[in-house]
Amino acid sequence: MNKKEIILSAKDVEVKFDLRGQILTAIRDVSLDIYHGETLAIVGESGSGKSVFTKTFNGLLDKNGTISKGELIYNGEDLAKYKKDRQWLKIRGHEIAMIMQEPMTSLNPLKSIGDQIVEAIRIRDRKISYSKAKNEAIGYLSDVGIRNPEDRFKQYPHEFSGGMRQRVVIAIAIACKPKILICDEPTTALDVTIQAQILTVLKEMKEKYSLTIVFITHDLGVVANVADRIAVMYAGDIIEIGTTDEIFFDPRHPYTWALLSSMPQLGIKGNDLFTIQGNPPNLFTEIKGDAFAPRNPHALKIDFLKRPPYFEVSETHKAKTWLLDPRAPRVDKPKGIMALQDLTAN
Amino acid sequence: MKEKEVLVDIKNLEVAFGTRKHRFVAVNDVSFQIYKGETFGVVGESGSGKTTIGRAIMRIHSTAKGDILYNGEKINGKISKSLDKQITQKIQMIFQDPMASLNERAKVNYIVSEGLMNLGKITEKERNERVTEALKEVGLLPEFASRFPHEFSGGQRQRIGIARALIMEPEFIIADEPISALDVSIRAQVLNLLDRLQKEKGLTYLFVAHDLSVMRFITDRIAVIHEGVIVELAETEELFAHPMHPYTKALLSAIPLPNPIAERNKTLLVYDKSMHHYETDKPQWCTLHEDHYIMANKEEFAAYKEAYESNR
Amino acid sequence: MAALRHKLSSKFERHVSDQIETMPDEELFSFHTYNADEGEKTAYSNYSYWRSTLNSFKKNKTAVILVCLVVGILLFTFIQPLLPNQYDPNLVNNDPSTGIQYRNIPPYILTLVGNTDYPEIKETFWFGTNSIGQDLWARIWTGTRNSLLIGIAVASIEALIGIIAGVLWGYVRKLDWFFTEVYNILDNVPQTIILVLISYMLKPGIKTLIFAMCITGWIQMARFIRNQVLMIRDREYNLASRCVGTPTRRVIAKNLLPYLVSVIMLRMALSVPAAIGNEVFITYIGLGLPTNIPSLGQLINDGRQLMMSASLRYQLIFPTVVISIVTISFYIIGNAFSDAADPKNHI
Repeated sequence: MNKKEIILSAKDVEVKFDLRGQILTAIRDVSLDIYHGETLAIVGESGSGKSVFTKTFNGLLDKNGTISKGELIYNGEDLAKYKKDRQWLKIRGHEIAMIMQEPMTSLNPLKSIGDQIVEAIRIRDRKISYSKAKNEAIGYLSDVGIRNPEDRFKQYPHEFSGGMRQRVVIAIAIACKPKILICDEPTTALDVTIQAQILTVLKEMKEKYSLTIVFITHDLGVVANVADRIAVMYAGDIIEIGTTDEIFFDPRHPYTWALLSSMPQLGIKGNDLFTIQGNPPNLFTEIKGDAFAPRNPHALKIDFLKRPPYFEVSETHKAKTWLLDPRAPRVDKPKGIMALQDLTAN
Repeated sequence: MKEKEVLVDIKNLEVAFGTRKHRFVAVNDVSFQIYKGETFGVVGESGSGKTTIGRAIMRIHSTAKGDILYNGEKINGKISKSLDKQITQKIQMIFQDPMASLNERAKVNYIVSEGLMNLGKITEKERNERVTEALKEVGLLPEFASRFPHEFSGGQRQRIGIARALIMEPEFIIADEPISALDVSIRAQVLNLLDRLQKEKGLTYLFVAHDLSVMRFITDRIAVIHEGVIVELAETEELFAHPMHPYTKALLSAIPLPNPIAERNKTLLVYDKSMHHYETDKPQWCTLHEDHYIMANKEEFAAYKEAYESNR
Repeated sequence: MAALRHKLSSKFERHVSDQIETMPDEELFSFHTYNADEGEKTAYSNYSYWRSTLNSFKKNKTAVILVCLVVGILLFTFIQPLLPNQYDPNLVNNDPSTGIQYRNIPPYILTLVGNTDYPEIKETFWFGTNSIGQDLWARIWTGTRNSLLIGIAVASIEALIGIIAGVLWGYVRKLDWFFTEVYNILDNVPQTIILVLISYMLKPGIKTLIFAMCITGWIQMARFIRNQVLMIRDREYNLASRCVGTPTRRVIAKNLLPYLVSVIMLRMALSVPAAIGNEVFITYIGLGLPTNIPSLGQLINDGRQLMMSASLRYQLIFPTVVISIVTISFYIIGNAFSDAADPKNHI
């Protein structure tokens, strides 16, 4: 990444949901630049708003949710101003495609997978002949690592295993030739062995079709391999963002510390694992100060009073924590995180 | 573990589903022993039969062949009423999905004390006391007893599930992927809790998972299962240090490492069953080393043995 | 309310900014005392299933109005005979001066607005009279009472038997074969034939009708419950109950039925109008209640025969309006209640 070209830029985005009269602020003033050709991982626990945030990119927010503030600049247009489905149709699939956690939700069980890919190709290119589209579709199938694509072209989703279905979903997404591919926990429902394979496929596809990938997960371990940059989300806000190496080897926010040190891979039989106490804050109420403060053993008094701004650690690395303020006392990273560096493949 | 006392002994277990025409053998001729006080791990991908073994011990699934012995007594098939009652109390299960395993229409109080009421008459006061105690034990507040499950987060719900098992004062707990449905940030809480309870109460665990990464922390011995057959069994550190079966190696290589540098240099191994040539030379359960067993035919075993010796 | 909240929050904000300004940096950046247990607390919502159901039902204004309407109608059917100046529904009214029956007298209101055909009537028949001079007002309310009782009785009995049978059918695997055969037999004989046969064989009356409808109706309810039970019986929470040795009876009462409340309620609400409709049908083919027990079916059937003459159409309109109100109300109330009873709609 020498020349950084911004492909999508979110500025102070706020998303609110109306749940039977109660207002839930799911995203709280998030700003994020996504660069062309990178893989950006958004990591956070469930309820942190990572899915909601990316859903704003292609207008897939639930009916009761609105972007109440901020802008989303893509191709010089502000997506946050899009109201009609017709406007979104230009974006969805064509420009920004999405892969969901459960592959069956995005596949039509009554159509052969080949036809589903052909359909995706035809949305992009209406005049293409069936045989041409079929050839192209078979190409995509073999790209995502499906063996005997000619034979499997005619098969239906139920004839595929979970991992294979997810590959098909990737093939369909790629057939639309999107610029950005959002992967919403694409491997969470899969076995580890399959998960590793899907990650490899995603990496290959990114290179081959020069995609920009936004990868959503709750598991930091998964993204070490695929991500160029990592954004850590907590309670509807990106609290730390940096390159993958920076996040793993030089994390600054106590929440990132906690996430990293609670990884079971670090555990040794006989010793306790590090845990994060408590629960994420209630997003129905307004959050004062640092949202993580009540669970943070290193919390300062100011954390409860004032929301921290971004402090820059390096050109690519910034974090929202008062600990980075020059006036703050020195707090050392937990030792467990140091062990990450020594962690090798057996 | 100086003297190993066998608590659960599984002999040539076979569990099958479906009718004669569409018979599917989920667990095929599996034998292993679980020692008192240890954590025995079973790892395998979905559909490998790992959950089925646990459920066969729980007597949710009936067995087609083989025996399950608990403390030397046969507990599968038809058993006497008194043994049934005893087993119901002594063997407990923790389920995978905390969202699905709690009765949404009952209060925590009822959910936790459900088993207690089945053991015999109990006064309301005593029941409440036991519930309070069980909730405290899993790190929940006693006032949670009067609430409904939907008010809790995944990690808290899983701990309610653990309290439900604990209140029975069991000896043996089957934990069926107790953390795979949880956020990574919460997994550690539940694992620590299980570990602490084992130390305090001398529990024995059968820990089922699809992911080897947590196994190193929680288990003493691990059995790797593939398509209903155990392919390798060894003590945890031994298995991590000297994995021999190609499937075990594939599983190990798939563990996501929270270290980008290591990840980039990692080679992913893929296991393909067709690499074995079992048509003429049938595989057997072989002893590679003390307490390290592997499924191999004669030819493979020779190769494994050689690789194993040279690696030590 | 919003203004108050705003006031409070701005007050809080001022409080915060005061603190930030007055507190020296050293203190601002000192450690806050940390209590790990504090994080475990969750907001106490004081949730109760039935209260939430009621609350969310109350939000559906149409349904609430219709409940009042149906309850009002039911109450009125009991109050009506006690009011002054009411006629016996079965009494044939004669003109005292001539001794001739008051035949097909139009509703009272019509006689007021200058209908001069019947100048000498001294009595008030609110809804007019029928062809033999019985008071339609009294007959309609008595008929509504009878029909509603039939409907509610049939729905309750069907539900009671159907739920018990259905749960056993779905939950106890050994009984599946038995109930399936019973179902096959009962379901293959058209309900109409059974209704007709029983009405022929037994003495006509309300009890006979209820019996005839329930004897076939319960199996449909049972099958419905069975399918629902099959869907949830092997969910993990039920396995968990079995694992701690909970007896089947308690699993059914605590784990299965509470989940089915909303669908059972909908089903029951729909079987009330269905039973009333059946009664109309039986009466229509001439096998229903005897004429001295009025019912909506009877009134509609009587009215139907006069439908072609415009001046007598009122005899059809009044009972039809009542049956429409009852049917639509039960349908909407049932749906609203089943939505309200679904905890997904609580929060």
